[in-house]
Amino acid sequence: MNLEEKLKILADSAKYDASCSSSGSTRTSKNGIGNVAFSGICHSFSSDGRCISLLKILMTNCCIFDCKYCLNRKSNSIPRAIFTPEEICEITLNFYRRNYIEGLFLSSGIIKSPDYTMDLLVQTITLLRKKYHFGGYIHAKAIPGASEKKLKELGLLVDRLSANIELPTEHGLKLLAPNKDKTKVEKIMGYVKENQTKHFVPAGQSTQMIIGATKESDLDIMEKSASLYNNYQLKRVFYSAYIPVNHDSFLPSLEKPPLKRENRLYQADWLLRFYHFQVRDLLDQKNPNFNILIDPKADWALRHIEEFPKEINHCSYYDLLKIPGIGVKSAKRILSSRRIFQVSFDDLKKMGVVLKRAKYFITCNGKYFMNPQLFKKEFIEKNLVYEEILPTSRPHEQLRLFHE
Amino acid sequence: MNNSCYIYDDTFVQLLNLIYFLIKNKMKPGNIQNTYYSPTLLDEIIHLEISEDPELITNLIQEMGPDTYRTIYYVFLSTEENKELIIYYLILNGFKYKDQLLYHRNLKCVTKAITISKYVLHEAHKYKGFIRFKELDNHVLYAEIEPLNDILYFISHHFEKRLKQEYWIIKDVKRGILSIYDKHKYILISENDFKLSTTKLSQQEWEMEKLWKLFYQTIGIETRKNDRCRRNFMPKKYWKYMIEMENEI
Repeated sequence: MNLEEKLKILADSAKYDASCSSSGSTRTSKNGIGNVAFSGICHSFSSDGRCISLLKILMTNCCIFDCKYCLNRKSNSIPRAIFTPEEICEITLNFYRRNYIEGLFLSSGIIKSPDYTMDLLVQTITLLRKKYHFGGYIHAKAIPGASEKKLKELGLLVDRLSANIELPTEHGLKLLAPNKDKTKVEKIMGYVKENQTKHFVPAGQSTQMIIGATKESDLDIMEKSASLYNNYQLKRVFYSAYIPVNHDSFLPSLEKPPLKRENRLYQADWLLRFYHFQVRDLLDQKNPNFNILIDPKADWALRHIEEFPKEINHCSYYDLLKIPGIGVKSAKRILSSRRIFQVSFDDLKKMGVVLKRAKYFITCNGKYFMNPQLFKKEFIEKNLVYEEILPTSRPHEQLRLFHE
Repeated sequence: MNNSCYIYDDTFVQLLNLIYFLIKNKMKPGNIQNTYYSPTLLDEIIHLEISEDPELITNLIQEMGPDTYRTIYYVFLSTEENKELIIYYLILNGFKYKDQLLYHRNLKCVTKAITISKYVLHEAHKYKGFIRFKELDNHVLYAEIEPLNDILYFISHHFEKRLKQEYWIIKDVKRGILSIYDKHKYILISENDFKLSTTKLSQQEWEMEKLWKLFYQTIGIETRKNDRCRRNFMPKKYWKYMIEMENEI
């Protein structure tokens, strides 16, 4: 099997991993190639609109596990391949110096045993770092069940480690991934959290959950994420809309992956991390799922309409963050500007506030943007939903001068 | 109506000197342009012989802070039509508001300058990812770019740190400037003064391009295909020199 065929098989098997970020670490190489930019750099975008910054491949797609949702499960008859460490180094270095990629994302199916697989990963990355003095970004998957010694070796070489939790509840995991064990994944996360320094996993750890393969509600998922952020200080939790690749009686049959739901979960994830929201603010037992028509923040604002409208020129930073259409950056801009002048609707637009959402929830110098009597929940809700579906539903066609 | 149009000789330092001279003498320009400017019928062209003040830039930084100075420089690198006038008003207001200038977002020149400088930095950042090197027969890495703004400095600075063990050349096709790196430092040079000794690609180059195209086609998930999202992040203007996009242009 030549390099081209291997790359095709092993990139194809790796593509369902959502993570491709290359940020959060700095690294320089004294006598080799490469460095890491703290902001991360996207090098291309694939046909599905996702960023390509890392060479995302598997070491091998042979696997002793039989997870129902996975393309590489033991019981699937697909072509299998394995890279040698030298081959991975060759591709990575050649791609890197032509500026195709920002680094390597190395994952693997489990071959023989977790420790044996981890050893392969460690060998490859040691070769890259020590022999070729590669200073670019490396993201590696930690294999659940591997020993702490191997985990330590790997952690000292890479920028980011991740272990996928796959499903938010233990019940789902038992159903779809009978060989996987939740405690083993959390053991890795605990170990990385305890030992993280600027030399050991400097860019922190992340994880991924599959959305829509089992019957969990958004509330279950968000509570799991929140506990992961709090207990293990994860940098990111990725949500991956379930894409049917196998046919199994345990799996739901979907026509399209639940992309909108994935989008809402990411929005809520941001609210947790940067906007000081709690899961309980957004969802409860009565409404365990997000509203597909309205984004989570606007939805929250509509349910707490008594707190609005807020006065842009007086309210606190935390209150500014709660207004739909205002983000962290624009909130900070408003803070620094209103010390100097009274902020008006026109100024807000220049500061990057999304006025089409924000205008319903704010006053500027005591003025509301339209007749204040129209400040009613139903009216605002109708308008917000209309704005959201507008761009896709409006047919655009060039007007003709003459009718045919 | 103010028809006076002052001409400076294309360099950033000359522009700053001219503007400082105008402000000091309380002259209000209707327009400031470089030597490539073709005047309209109503323009009253004025050339001023101004000696360069070596202390000027240090003074400006002291007066209005490094952030403002940096913003002014980024505006200069852009292709905005009236960038010289925007810089004039920035410096004029800078003497008044000192290092607080950039917080005055209700001034038109400030919001414009911030938008423009952000655009310049944004384009520079995009090119750090989207630029593609080709290996020539003599192992030199060669890339061409066609950015709107003059961002070759940012790109060169980035790759000076990243590919320090390589020889590389980056050409700004639109402006005809090359950046050449010899494993120690890079220089910017006009295309008239430099000629490539070979344009033949190395043996391995073709294989690697083929592998990269294969990887690119494999990594996209068919059921999630979203062309609009891709064009949002990677507009078509960048596609010209990206080898993985060759088939799709």
